[in-house]
Amino acid sequence: MLNLVPHLVNGLTLGLLFALIALGFTLIVGVMEVINLAHGSLFALGAYFALSTIGGDWFAGTGFGVWWQGLPLWTRYVLALAIGPILAGAAGMVLEFCLRPAYGKAPLYGLLLTFGAALVIEELIRLGWGTGEQHLEVPQAINGAFFMGGLIFSKYKFFAAGFAILAILAVWLLLERTPYGAVIKAGAHDSEMVRALGYDLATLRLLVFGLGAALAGLAGVVMVPIWGLRPHVGIDVVIPAFLIIAIGGVGSFWGAVLASLLVGLAVGVTGAYAPAWATMSMYILLILILGLRARGLLGRKSALES
Amino acid sequence: MITLSDLSAKGGSPVTWPMGLFLLGLATAPFWLAPIGLYQYLGIEIAIWILFAMGFNLLFGYMGLHSFGHGAYLGVGAYAFGLFQLHVGTSLWGGLLAAVLAATVAGAVVGLFLSHRRGIYFALLTIGFGQVFWFSAIKLHSVTGGEDGLLGIPRPPLELGFASVDLNDNAAFYWFVAALVALVVPLLWRLVNAPFGRVLQAIRQNELRARFIGYEVWRFKWATFTISAATAGLAGGLFAMAQESAYPDVMSLHQSGLIVMMVLVGGGLVSFWGPVLGVILYFIARDVLGGLTETWLLWYGLMFVVMVMVRPEGLAGLFHVLRPGKGRA
Amino acid sequence: MARSTLTRRGLLGTTAAAGGLSVVNGPWRHNRVWAQATDKPIRIGLTSDASGQYANSGASDRRGMIMAIDEANARGGVLGRKVEHIHLDTETTPATGSRVAERMITREECGFLVGAVSSGVANAISQVAQKYGVIYMNTNSSSPSESGENCHRVKFVWDGNGTNFAKAAVKNSIDRFGKNWLLLTNDYVWGHETAASTRALLAEYGGEVADEILVPQGTRDFSAALLSIQQANPDVVAAAVGGDDQKALRQQVAQLGMGSKPAWINNQQDWPDVYGLPLDNLFGVFGTTWYYKLDLPGVAEFVQRYQAAYPDTSMRVPGNVFYNGYMATRELLAAIERAGTTNNIAVIKELEGLQMSAESRMQTYDAMIDPVTHQVQQTIYLATANSAPVDENDMFEILTESPPDAVRDTSADAACKLESYEDTPSFDA
Repeated sequence: MLNLVPHLVNGLTLGLLFALIALGFTLIVGVMEVINLAHGSLFALGAYFALSTIGGDWFAGTGFGVWWQGLPLWTRYVLALAIGPILAGAAGMVLEFCLRPAYGKAPLYGLLLTFGAALVIEELIRLGWGTGEQHLEVPQAINGAFFMGGLIFSKYKFFAAGFAILAILAVWLLLERTPYGAVIKAGAHDSEMVRALGYDLATLRLLVFGLGAALAGLAGVVMVPIWGLRPHVGIDVVIPAFLIIAIGGVGSFWGAVLASLLVGLAVGVTGAYAPAWATMSMYILLILILGLRARGLLGRKSALES
Repeated sequence: MITLSDLSAKGGSPVTWPMGLFLLGLATAPFWLAPIGLYQYLGIEIAIWILFAMGFNLLFGYMGLHSFGHGAYLGVGAYAFGLFQLHVGTSLWGGLLAAVLAATVAGAVVGLFLSHRRGIYFALLTIGFGQVFWFSAIKLHSVTGGEDGLLGIPRPPLELGFASVDLNDNAAFYWFVAALVALVVPLLWRLVNAPFGRVLQAIRQNELRARFIGYEVWRFKWATFTISAATAGLAGGLFAMAQESAYPDVMSLHQSGLIVMMVLVGGGLVSFWGPVLGVILYFIARDVLGGLTETWLLWYGLMFVVMVMVRPEGLAGLFHVLRPGKGRA
Repeated sequence: MARSTLTRRGLLGTTAAAGGLSVVNGPWRHNRVWAQATDKPIRIGLTSDASGQYANSGASDRRGMIMAIDEANARGGVLGRKVEHIHLDTETTPATGSRVAERMITREECGFLVGAVSSGVANAISQVAQKYGVIYMNTNSSSPSESGENCHRVKFVWDGNGTNFAKAAVKNSIDRFGKNWLLLTNDYVWGHETAASTRALLAEYGGEVADEILVPQGTRDFSAALLSIQQANPDVVAAAVGGDDQKALRQQVAQLGMGSKPAWINNQQDWPDVYGLPLDNLFGVFGTTWYYKLDLPGVAEFVQRYQAAYPDTSMRVPGNVFYNGYMATRELLAAIERAGTTNNIAVIKELEGLQMSAESRMQTYDAMIDPVTHQVQQTIYLATANSAPVDENDMFEILTESPPDAVRDTSADAACKLESYEDTPSFDA
């Protein structure tokens, strides 16, 4: 009756989107052993900055603003794809600054501080952009639908999934194929090593947290044309990110990617056969996997275990 | 990793000055709540959440197990109380017993899964289970009333054999809750300051060593989790009475996060009494700020961030630091 | 303030006891003084969400209530008394609703409560309100259970509910689009109730339910459901998807261009949820109780008053949520004035069965408050996205208007059991 193939394709796409959502979260947990509960708020913040970039709100009324709004949508969109995450990353750096007293203490404190920060950022968004639903425009080329096997698929969804692949590869390349990667990975565990390599630990943390926050912002810019944009859109992000970390195993990059694909497939396929259970399937997956493997799929030993 | 949990089991008698102060405050609250600008119902909620937070801190502070899904057991207790009243019979003790039993069973089963886990995986699994409970409460709407909640739960009268006390009035109900809290808190105090508490402390400080000494660590984890869930269940039953309904929201991750926040802000990691301070501060701050400004969450969040930055041990930490070397009750 | 709280409590105890309930009064039994001075303001508690899922609708709702209160004060108050209001955030959380209601009544001395968007919060507030006998206006929660099994003597429901909207839409749509329907239902109480009334109407008018897809609350990705819909290929999809889920759904339907084929029936679109969005987000046919460009007397002037009162609001024209908040508050104050007293039972009796002319409500047909269910029986409009808008505010095109009798929720009569007057504590606010 139901053709399974489109649902599998859909599940994989969804999985890639989950991976994009979890990327910055994974990075910060893996490198800095901080659970960043403000991830969702930074996600929203990135999207709101992108919204203002595309709309040119900052310069409205000025000659520059008029010129800006006259630029083609795709130019403004591409700029927004960069500016949104950069500003979210800057916000992340401010947050890292606040986090400093928590280093060396129980992981709990990072978690609490970021929980408070999440409240603050969300309220600031309400003050700055209002409480209402907003719309992030995307260029015509990636908007609309296309046909495949007699079924309609969303172009944007595939663009977003492709973008997720690029982002995953870029982060992987950064960590594994550049000298910075080695330093980052030495990160929080081995401050001696970082110093021996001639880097300042404080700067490193600042940059990693900023990068993680920027990735959260990037996910926001990419995801909100699918989810819609409202101040509390970030709360939908933290739970999937958590699940993915737990299933994939703390500190494992590919574990997180694999977990995202599994969660996507679980949600997509349950969505086809038992849609009412689609959300629950994520939690069942979590309990099954953690029931069988204490550290998730590919987790390694982490300070967060104590 | 340095854990800030610093709670020792000191033994001795529960008759200490903080206990006296606490019981005095609890007993006299109805007389000074209104004059200082609060109201009776707030007193009820605070007393119930103190119970919840104290039980939670057994796990969180004393055992060092960070649960982020504890609202689930409060919710299970609330639903069990409500379902008992609506389907079995109107009975105060029956309902509260059902609430405690249901939460105990739920906690015991989940505890089996959790007691072999540590650190972040423990925390992540508690979130997973918490979400399952929350989601089930919404999904099983023919039983739970779904997102509308289980409504019209009565407050059954307190039958004392020689007299029957109506609890519909908030003042009367407060006395009842306060009496239960005054009963349970010294019990918890005894528990953590008995040999059991010493074992918890040993496990928290070094699980491996505790295991080598011969303790079956997972049994202690499991027992603590279950006791803590049972206390949450009792609080949940009372909460259902206070609200005269049970809602799924108390089981959500957000609410489970709030109890963590209250316990930490209060200083649950360094003092038995931390959760009390944290609950009082949260409820009063929310009530007062909420009445002043619509962006109260902004101010509360800022206050919270600053607090974690400058005084991570929480409110009770202040006293802790001021009185170094002295025993903490 | 503290002293008057005591007075209030004493009063509640007394009246509850008079109403046949035995209540322990605690230490305040002796205190039964209740000021009847006419210079005492009438206090109204605004119980709307300022955070959580319905923060935005809550703000709109609140603006409506405040405009009605300000207009009453500008006319010299009610019964010669000034009307005051206080707002507390109900956080889109029922447990908070209970606490806020307790505080409003026992500490803030509010004699009346107004406001709700979420049905869970509305239920929580109305239970507390009923306990104290405080009149509560549920302005914007459209769950059928509000005027059905969860109705109360003190609660009045001002929005059209899921059944009203389904009735307005189903027969029309079978004739227009076809008999083969698929239901897309949010898997929670509101979704199921709304889907159930659609099913019943389909059976009555000869439509068929090909399938029902249940989507959990909190769903952000509808792609699996949208694929299944394509594979099933129905004539009509009747969606009962609410809150943030609905916002994600319409975004995704718009991207796929699936908004016109199949035909979509959406239950209700609240104005604050759609205002400012591109028009392809407004797919299909949906219900509403009011629109700012209805060609009726008074509408244009009402819009002007809104714009004068809220010059800085990003929402430049009032919508249905504002309208309901305004109407509920205005009619409450008018009822107090007509009753000549703030006695709650007298005001309740004044409101029950109240006939409101089409002109006064700026709707097509006369409305009335059903004395059996306490729901306002009013005109229900079906609308769709406006293909020829005159400006950016002009988003809806009104398709039909159904008179209250045609869309009446008849199942509510049997489900609703109002408490008797005697069991409702009585007091003068």
